[in-house]
Amino acid sequence: MTLFRLECRTHIKTLVIWIVVVGVLTLGLVSLFPAMKDMGLQQMDLKSMPKDMLKAFNLSDMAALATIKGYFGYEYQYIVIATGIFAAMLGTNALAREEAEGTIGYLYAQPITRLSIVGSKMLANSLLYTVYWAVSMAIAFLGCILFKESGASVHGLFKSFAQLAFSGWVMGLTFLVFGFLLSSFLSTNKSATSLSLGVVFLTFILGVVGKMNDDFQALVFFSPVDTALPSTVFKNGIEWNYIVTDLIVIMVSCLLTFWIYKRKDLKV
Amino acid sequence: MPVIELSHISKRFGKFVAVNDLSFSVEQGEFFGFIGPNGAGKSTTMNMMLNFIKRSGGEISLLGKSVPQHDLDVKKRIGYVPSDVRFYPQLRVQDLIRYTLDFHHMEGDQAEIDRYFELFQIDRKKKFGDLSLGNKKKVALVCALIHHPELIIMDEPTNGLDPLMHARLFRVLKEKQEQGATIFLSSHNLKEVEDYCSKVAFIRSGQLVGVEDLSQVNKKTKIVTLKGSKLPLDEMKAIGATCTKKEEHEARFLYEGGLPQLFSTLSNLSTDLEDVTVANRDLEEQFMSMYERQEGERL
Repeated sequence: MTLFRLECRTHIKTLVIWIVVVGVLTLGLVSLFPAMKDMGLQQMDLKSMPKDMLKAFNLSDMAALATIKGYFGYEYQYIVIATGIFAAMLGTNALAREEAEGTIGYLYAQPITRLSIVGSKMLANSLLYTVYWAVSMAIAFLGCILFKESGASVHGLFKSFAQLAFSGWVMGLTFLVFGFLLSSFLSTNKSATSLSLGVVFLTFILGVVGKMNDDFQALVFFSPVDTALPSTVFKNGIEWNYIVTDLIVIMVSCLLTFWIYKRKDLKV
Repeated sequence: MPVIELSHISKRFGKFVAVNDLSFSVEQGEFFGFIGPNGAGKSTTMNMMLNFIKRSGGEISLLGKSVPQHDLDVKKRIGYVPSDVRFYPQLRVQDLIRYTLDFHHMEGDQAEIDRYFELFQIDRKKKFGDLSLGNKKKVALVCALIHHPELIIMDEPTNGLDPLMHARLFRVLKEKQEQGATIFLSSHNLKEVEDYCSKVAFIRSGQLVGVEDLSQVNKKTKIVTLKGSKLPLDEMKAIGATCTKKEEHEARFLYEGGLPQLFSTLSNLSTDLEDVTVANRDLEEQFMSMYERQEGERL
């Protein structure tokens, strides 16, 4: 519990910064909806563009952009990718930073087991991520209510946001716990940011390839971002097959992290 | 029962052997020194004791319990001062002390905390990252002592401390020792080891060179230095002195016999000596002769 508190305290500033930046960005994007709608963006003819490419960028249904759900579903996918990066960075830094900054010398001299270190840090960072995602979703929902087109159902919007909130939460936890697994190998956090970016973009590109070519469709399962693509979730609801895949990744990463960290030589 | 018992421990990093078949023990209440040149394996040994790194072989027992199997129980009763103190820089000193007590599930005695802050002149409101090296060391000392450990393990604790704080630290450690705590001190400062430790282990290239009881050896063994044109090597040998250094006009001997016999031998010499010095054998001399002896054996 002490390490849990210490970890939360250490990251509180980062959390606030991410919430503020993502909140402002979300409100900025949503506030553009009335103007974009009036510009007739949905009437743009995309027939000349390759179908697969449109699929890859989730642009297949331009008519949907005339609704707040369709517009938000397309724009917010980039925030979802940023959210994945935030979650991966929390995880990748969590264990490696203690060794890189030398604070592991203090921490591990206290009566605390390695399993408790990993467990407390995982819980604390999961809580931080949950708070970030809950606040981000609340801001996005309020923004959508504020700028929605007349006649859009608040109840329908709420249901879609609840599904997105859940899917996005699972996606973030997947990146977070996978980040922990990477962190258990590292003894410095110098490469944590680049690793986080690499993991999120690589898996996202795998998802894009999977969507572009039916022969590689299975690759979509390697892309946690596809679990929480707003346009897909708004259209099809929660994609349970992706959720289950993410949960398996979470479980395996979690077990491997505990196993590796228990056996490694800590760099003091 | 020994408080620290290392039995044939070793540590390899790939092909490099950092610690090799190291064994020694420390009894309860001892002030035990652990010395050796840079890279001798002192920190690696302590890191194995604290389970920061896994040993490649051997057994470690602290406070009667094997490590790492009883790691948690053992750490509740240990205080540790690292050589390179890198605690959470964003935390204030008072928060670090609070967290340390929380880790030990202790409330802590505010009067005792205040006493340490006053004794070591620590500004409790300052952030740890803003402190000087010496002040960081002092905070590490308070963190290591505040939960009343039975075993205090210190790696170069006086680095960065001024003489006044140095004296205060050892006063506190002596108090702890009198209360029954065992103190394990790794240091490059041979003077402080000699002044405070009752026993010392010498380590070199990951191997134990020897363990000496300082209270016995230092009092018993004298260093006799003679200067003159004709040095009485045979006469000194006859009274049991061992020559450790011989130059043209100077020789040094280790002598464990009585002083009257030494002075009688020197006064009966047919030639006059230019200078005679008799001194207690200090740790530095002991340290050097041990390593030179081992080096000689190796060659």
